[in-house]
Amino acid sequence: MTHLIEAIELTRYFNIGRHQRVHAVEKVSLAIAEKEILGLVGESGSGKSTFGKTVVGLHDKTSGQVKLRGETLPQHYRPADFQRYASRMQMIFQDPYSSLNPRMTIGEIVGEGLRLHSSLDDKQVKDRVAEWLVKVGLQAGHMSRYPHEFSGGQRQRIGIARALILEPDFVVCDEPISALDVSVQAQVINLLGELQSTMGLTLLFIAHDLSMVRYVSDRMAVMYLGSIVEVGKADDVYFTPKHPYTEILIGSNPEPDPELERSRPSTAISGEIPSPVNVPAGCRFANRCPKVMPVCRDVTPELLPLKDLDRQVACHLYT
Amino acid sequence: MSEMAHKAESSVPLLVVENLHVEFDTYGGTVQAVRGVSFSIEAGKTLAIVGESGCGKSVTVQSMMGLIPMPPGRITAGSARLKGNEILGRHIIKGRDIRGSQIGMIFQDPMTSLNPTMTIGDQIAEPLQIHRGYSHAKAFKEAINLLSMSKIPEAAKRARQYPFEFSGGMLQRAMIAMAIACKPSILIADEPTTALDVTIQAQILDLLQDLQKETGMAVILITHDLGVVARMADDVAVMYAGKIVEQGSVDDIFYRSAHPYTLGLKLAMPTNDPAKQHKLNPIEGSPPDLFSPPPGCGYCPRCPYAMEICDRQQSDLIALSGHHASRCWLHHPEVTQRPEDLTYAEGQR
Amino acid sequence: MAEYSAADFAPLKVQSHSQTLSRPSLSYWQDAWIRLKANRRALTSLYLVIGLLVFTLLGPLIWRVNPASQDLDQISAPPGRDRGALVVPEYTPWEGPTTQATELQLAAPPTSQAVRLQWAPLPNAHGHRVYRNLYPVGPERAFGIPLAEFFDNSTLYFEDRLDLRPGRYYYSVVALNDNGRPTTEAQTITVDVRRATSISDAIKQGIIPVDAEVEVGDVLQVALHPLGTDYLGRDMLARLMAGARVSLFIGIFAPFLYVLFGVVYGSVAGFLGGKIDQLMMRFADFVVALPFLLFMILFKIAFGIGPGESGVFPMLVAMILLLWPASARLVRGQILQIREQGYVEASKLLGAKSTYLIFRHMLPNTLGVVLVTLTFEIPRAIFTEAFLSFIGMGVAPPTPSWGSMSNEGIKTMLNTPHELIFPALMISITVLAFNLLGDGLRDALDARMRNTE
Repeated sequence: MTHLIEAIELTRYFNIGRHQRVHAVEKVSLAIAEKEILGLVGESGSGKSTFGKTVVGLHDKTSGQVKLRGETLPQHYRPADFQRYASRMQMIFQDPYSSLNPRMTIGEIVGEGLRLHSSLDDKQVKDRVAEWLVKVGLQAGHMSRYPHEFSGGQRQRIGIARALILEPDFVVCDEPISALDVSVQAQVINLLGELQSTMGLTLLFIAHDLSMVRYVSDRMAVMYLGSIVEVGKADDVYFTPKHPYTEILIGSNPEPDPELERSRPSTAISGEIPSPVNVPAGCRFANRCPKVMPVCRDVTPELLPLKDLDRQVACHLYT
Repeated sequence: MSEMAHKAESSVPLLVVENLHVEFDTYGGTVQAVRGVSFSIEAGKTLAIVGESGCGKSVTVQSMMGLIPMPPGRITAGSARLKGNEILGRHIIKGRDIRGSQIGMIFQDPMTSLNPTMTIGDQIAEPLQIHRGYSHAKAFKEAINLLSMSKIPEAAKRARQYPFEFSGGMLQRAMIAMAIACKPSILIADEPTTALDVTIQAQILDLLQDLQKETGMAVILITHDLGVVARMADDVAVMYAGKIVEQGSVDDIFYRSAHPYTLGLKLAMPTNDPAKQHKLNPIEGSPPDLFSPPPGCGYCPRCPYAMEICDRQQSDLIALSGHHASRCWLHHPEVTQRPEDLTYAEGQR
Repeated sequence: MAEYSAADFAPLKVQSHSQTLSRPSLSYWQDAWIRLKANRRALTSLYLVIGLLVFTLLGPLIWRVNPASQDLDQISAPPGRDRGALVVPEYTPWEGPTTQATELQLAAPPTSQAVRLQWAPLPNAHGHRVYRNLYPVGPERAFGIPLAEFFDNSTLYFEDRLDLRPGRYYYSVVALNDNGRPTTEAQTITVDVRRATSISDAIKQGIIPVDAEVEVGDVLQVALHPLGTDYLGRDMLARLMAGARVSLFIGIFAPFLYVLFGVVYGSVAGFLGGKIDQLMMRFADFVVALPFLLFMILFKIAFGIGPGESGVFPMLVAMILLLWPASARLVRGQILQIREQGYVEASKLLGAKSTYLIFRHMLPNTLGVVLVTLTFEIPRAIFTEAFLSFIGMGVAPPTPSWGSMSNEGIKTMLNTPHELIFPALMISITVLAFNLLGDGLRDALDARMRNTE
């Protein structure tokens, strides 16, 4: 199985102030196979969005590498690098309200990639844009309209058209449905699913809605405070979590099923999510983990595969 | 039937809202945000008002609390009676402002709902000083008490800190402490956990349930998250386009859905029960424009079971069983062909 | 309960669910324009501004009066003052009275050409002194300005031609003792001077053509000055128009230049970020700290304004050099914000170069803010120029400017308030109009920026 994208010990720190650093992404190694949908979940401070942006080049890599079909990507992207990879890696952004330039028409927004890249003439670009607008469920006539005339769901469709018009192989979906209503989320998810299967896309689906991620993804990775704590098949991770944090995360996710909710024990954990600025030594979850052991506070657990299971867990319970 | 009689004698509704109509004057015209909403709540119970953005759920409770500026807002009809006293447009009953004392409220984004220039303790003390006439020292002491009731560790130290020193979850607890300071009989929670992470959400929801058990207050929970509803609610009202389209107990709503919209919402969400997997079924289209609301059912253009009459005229809330009611023509006795997914009143199949 | 038929409950025809839009498409500017029009106050101020521009640019073509020409017949004349001028014979010096006077009296009807007085010797007078006052002579015996002195009683008449204006004067004759000192004996008369002109003067002033049939005794109308004249007889309306040109030129041109510079500076700083941004902003802070007035004066001296030069240029230079940091900071803030927006990142990912990002994405989204800034900087610059001219540090006379006109007007504020009121009113209206317009623009453009749904 060829990996389309491989992150190897990818690390991204932000410098704030003179001596403080945010450890947003800490030595994350993750591989995504061709045509796979990998879901990435986590809470605030987990670094999932930062990871997505670093993979795609919007953030510089503090250390580590990302490989696209074996080819190492640049540590720092210059405009020429973006141009080179634009037709292979793209991103769908989170906020439908700020991800479209309010001063450009839809036609200009969706066609931007083609205009910057290809040698198509104006008419050809227009035709392609019209084709894609229909593909995402809008109308060709919408080309001359402005973003503010569309609803949130429609704007996300425009964002999808913009990202996919260059027919990339790999798309990072950074919380594409978080800002949308429930009934609209399903519309966009279905659209993404259709396009993924017809175009054979590989997706990194970043979200905090666990149910949606499980539904959409083939495999699922859970991040906590910059590191991956568990990776495996989406359904398996959801229904049989191995890492204590994953258990709690899934246990906290309310199900739209009153009987189930009534019969569930309360799994709420204590304490707050620590800040990724002063990262404690050892396992980052140690101070809130219900199954903490002395070794957890000293030694950082590595992400290791479990025996007989297609699963990787970073927890001393399994070493 | 006997069940209903039992309910009637033991439960006197604390708050009864009837036929509430609210509209807004905006730059584009007049929006009919709430178009005839009625519900009631009893002590110790949790009522969840569910709906998507624009359905009018927030406007309903905000207008009750007098939080909507009038103009450009306007309550054009309806009444809301708290323990028998009318509160619409008059939040001051017998000289006392009911907001903060008899009805407490918490909001969605704790970051912007608290004053960044006052300490947390002072802000929690405020309602006690205003409504109970406590001195600052007494109120502050009580504030520390309330903070520990809200499970904030090191409450005394925290009370002297400012909002920017708190995390989102802790701010929400502080807001809860502030809302329950005067021991209100009703707590309104307007999307209290939407801005929070899922584990923090679980903590806050647990806290709300614990506090409810301790104080016996009623909770009105506004949310769009059906999972939260399933976890917290005793009764549910589903809103769409300014009206309640279905109401009943939480089991009624989830297991005996009687309105195509409720059904549509359920089908548009992935279930995590391995036995009940289904393909996501989105509700196509979008909610109606409330500048000129349709004469018929607002959901009609998106409803797979729409009938001729649905386009012309809005149905009344048709009682199904107990407190379960649905505003849908499909429950009209003269309808012969019914879709299998929807539930009907006993004896009407 | 109404009756329903089976047809009522028949399934509704399937409707298309494609995403439709109902309202017509509006671009950012079209939408902003509609909002602006709806704001009555802003619309009024827009009309005012347009009116001012018309006044400045087209006014001189309609009211063709040279702002520098002096109408000596009407000095400091308020608007609406009587413009009649009696035609009198050409001036010839007075030989003396023909009859004897019994007391201080006029020897001839008093006109602006000459006032001829004669008197009888006052008791115990060894001589007389003639005074003239604009104000009545009260018990304190303030006679006014002395016009002439006679040390014997042989001359008992006097012709006054000193700067006579139509109006009321109070002439007094005071007796002198043998030492030539004034005694307490005095007489006063009230004289109402009438405007008069000779035929040759009238022709010279352009009041009548050369071949006009005019005779002595006719009453001519001297030049019309709708807003009156100033202390040098210059037409106020023409001067206001000329002053408008100067004030608006500086007030609009300077802000355009320094806001433009600020935009460029701010975008570069915001886009580059990091240390360069810090350095650039510290320099901007430094410029803000420089004392504006001091630099204005320095520039004036450095440029060495000689006589006849207007002083506009050094003021322009000083403003441009000192006032750009505000807009630079504003634009930088905007750019920093816009840089983080999704659409900029998306564009980057699509392979856009830096210049494309700045010009295609970032700057157009700052235009609203820049426009509003400009609309507020204009009244600020106008007021600055007016203020500087008012204290004498601005444009040099005779170049008119509302500020310097106000300065001149202050001197005669109690007598002829119109010389102060008109230029001050113009400044106030202009500044108010631009400010209100800026407010309205900001409301119209801001709402869009807030992305209301």
